[in-house]
Amino acid sequence: MYLLSKSLLLSGTILVSAFSLGLAAPAWAQDATFVMPSGDVGAPSYDPIKGTKLNAATSLIYDRMVIQDSDQSFHGQLATSWKSSEDGMSWTFTLRPGVTFHDGESFNASTIVWWVPQFKDTENAFMTDAIEKVDVIDDLTVKFVMKNPDPNLLSNMASVFMGIPSPKAYSEMGANYGVTGAVGSGPFKLASFTIGQETILASNEDYAWASVLSDNQGPPHIKNLTLREISEDSTAFLELRTGGVDMLLSVPTDFLPQLKAESSVDVGSLPGTGIFYMPINTTVTPFDDIKVREAVAFAVNQKEILDNLFGGIGEEAHNFLISSLLAAKVTPALNISYDPERSNMLLESAGWKMGSDGVRVKDGKPLQVALWTQNGTEFKRVTEVIQAQLKAIGVGAEITVFDSATINDQYRKGTEHQLAVRSYSWANADIIDWFFAGSRLGYPNVSMWNDPTAEKLNKIAMTESRTWEERVKNFKAYHEYVLSQFVFAPIYQPVQIYAYSKDKITLPTRIRGTRLQSQTVVDITVN
Amino acid sequence: MIGFFLKRVLLLIPVFLAVSVIIFMIVHLVPGDPIDNLIQINSSPEQKALLAAKYGLDKPLYHQYLIWLSKAVTGDLGDAIILRRPVADLIALNLPHSLRLGVLALLFSTLVGISAGALSAIYKNSWIDRSTMTLILLGSTVPGFWLGLLLIMIFAVYLGWFPVSGARSWDALILPVLTIGLGGVALVARVTRVAMMETARQDFVMMLHAKGVSPWRIQLRHVLRHALLPVVTILSLRIGWILGGAVTVEFVFARPGLGSLLITSLNQRDYPVVQGSLLMLAVAVMLGTLLGDVVQAAMDPRVRERTK
Repeated sequence: MYLLSKSLLLSGTILVSAFSLGLAAPAWAQDATFVMPSGDVGAPSYDPIKGTKLNAATSLIYDRMVIQDSDQSFHGQLATSWKSSEDGMSWTFTLRPGVTFHDGESFNASTIVWWVPQFKDTENAFMTDAIEKVDVIDDLTVKFVMKNPDPNLLSNMASVFMGIPSPKAYSEMGANYGVTGAVGSGPFKLASFTIGQETILASNEDYAWASVLSDNQGPPHIKNLTLREISEDSTAFLELRTGGVDMLLSVPTDFLPQLKAESSVDVGSLPGTGIFYMPINTTVTPFDDIKVREAVAFAVNQKEILDNLFGGIGEEAHNFLISSLLAAKVTPALNISYDPERSNMLLESAGWKMGSDGVRVKDGKPLQVALWTQNGTEFKRVTEVIQAQLKAIGVGAEITVFDSATINDQYRKGTEHQLAVRSYSWANADIIDWFFAGSRLGYPNVSMWNDPTAEKLNKIAMTESRTWEERVKNFKAYHEYVLSQFVFAPIYQPVQIYAYSKDKITLPTRIRGTRLQSQTVVDITVN
Repeated sequence: MIGFFLKRVLLLIPVFLAVSVIIFMIVHLVPGDPIDNLIQINSSPEQKALLAAKYGLDKPLYHQYLIWLSKAVTGDLGDAIILRRPVADLIALNLPHSLRLGVLALLFSTLVGISAGALSAIYKNSWIDRSTMTLILLGSTVPGFWLGLLLIMIFAVYLGWFPVSGARSWDALILPVLTIGLGGVALVARVTRVAMMETARQDFVMMLHAKGVSPWRIQLRHVLRHALLPVVTILSLRIGWILGGAVTVEFVFARPGLGSLLITSLNQRDYPVVQGSLLMLAVAVMLGTLLGDVVQAAMDPRVRERTK
């Protein structure tokens, strides 16, 4: 009994001590709490120059030279205007006057002279690789002298990795920059950052340089903003439901019915930045035969997937690029749309005859293929529907599910996969180079496609375009050739869904930008 | 006693080496590549090769292992590839959260487990015994992930008593502690119950009954005290478990800690962090076992005699 009493006493003491010695977190006066997209969880720093993974708060801390709208048009943020020389060998940017960083330092031409060379030898160096040097024309005008024309420069400048930090703070904090502190010129100042947990931001009351994509040109209406990192989507949904948070910046489609049933929650969407697609391994039988590839591509019923799996939210995908990109506007005949009759005819002409069990046969071998996918409800559901759609044209497909970190290594083996269901998120036509260039066979070129004509078109699009218009034209030609070779099947173009407590916050009537970022957050009001 | 302790410590050295090999091989042989998470779309294959060389991933596995082990024994667990800071710092940052959760869960399972086990033993084969053990068994067999969500639904969503997730206030600890603690209650309760029933059959207990000592005093003062020896052993073995057992619970409740760190790093194949965290958990289990052995030897001279 003595021992038990002692244990109880000890336990009680530890419990009381534990609670009194720091379990209670400081009571922050929060005005709004958002949950970041689950893909942002674990971003290690707010260093846009050296970082390879940045989260949703980054665009709130830093301003960029330019910002992109959902129609892919560019608008000034820290630059008010820009002009490229005719040969593409120089770009002149006029900078916005009166901009100051959170530490009081002024933003001007010398900031850009310091900033561009910082990317050298970092993982983000490719963004500024084409810039030879930065010349100062005057305090608010800079000229980028180029090594070679880079018509994609504006798109790079609009990337969140192009947020411009205060040179003074960046140099002073050294290796700790982005972890213990981050100083930009954006609408919010970093108050605290706990990796994997939360970021607390305070409004920048001096902010008066929002882009034209925002209605509010002054400081943000939200004074203190907490951005939480929650990996588990169910937990994030329950937090919104119970009022623990005010907004989810990204919501999986699976949760839509439940969110729509909540009377206090409103759901909205932005155009998507990615595509679900099915790469076809062109180096293994039977897909070394273009007729079989074409048959499989035309067997995918995009409308059925959009309506039945995604409740009609999003768009059907008929080529490799998101529909807002100009290079996506290909010759209509090259778009890939469900046509089972065409599929059946192609398989017949390729010698694959329908077997008694509903699977086609050629030379005694059944048309049985491997269909790979990665874990995640959306992937599994889409893959199962594709499996059924392939069965309808006499192609048997066996599904294998890999975890997302493992599957890329499996692709690299090159010969084990045949079909796969994948997705990407990237709002630029150069994604075609990433997934189909002959130098990246296995992964990311899961189609294992190495075609001389494609390589030539790739080179022209990637390195020989001088202007934006020329780049669009060249990528369109490359895209059209990729489509004509049936190296993948387009499936679905998701939208970006967000949900918020309509009792707590009000969103602007028109949300602009490619993602729900600073240009919208400055307009959000707290009720 | 010192000889016993030294012998036990020496035994841990080969165990540590074996565990380090297993951890390193498992982490590296699982398909996946941390460089995939570092390179940006548009990076060239040459840039990827440069990055692999930068982090030493181009060297043979045995070479990588020897470098890692030689540094690990000095306390240097290397730098995280994705998270980009010393692994030791990351562990130090997350360990207090896991410890807080684990210690409270252990206390909960100890107090409730011993009480439930004692109650079952005292009222053995009665409805109290049967219903207590059934309830405990039910609570402990439910997977932590599911139990966590169930507790959130009941206590956070419907009743609104506690926050759904996070680590911002003390009451955010209650549901995670319950989720982890309930798993341990069954083990402690079963061991307590069996040990008490065995002790109750011993001669000295019969003697106490014959002397006219009250049954409650016999059970709580004498039987329970003797029965606590195996319970202490079990609890010391669970020291490592309390850190590692929180992995899924930290994920569900969006809490910081070693579990969250491990899952994030595993998904990104951040080898140094996964290796460092697993090694840390393995060392905790080894030290827990050592502590259990020492406590048992201190409480029972027969244990010391057996190892001589």
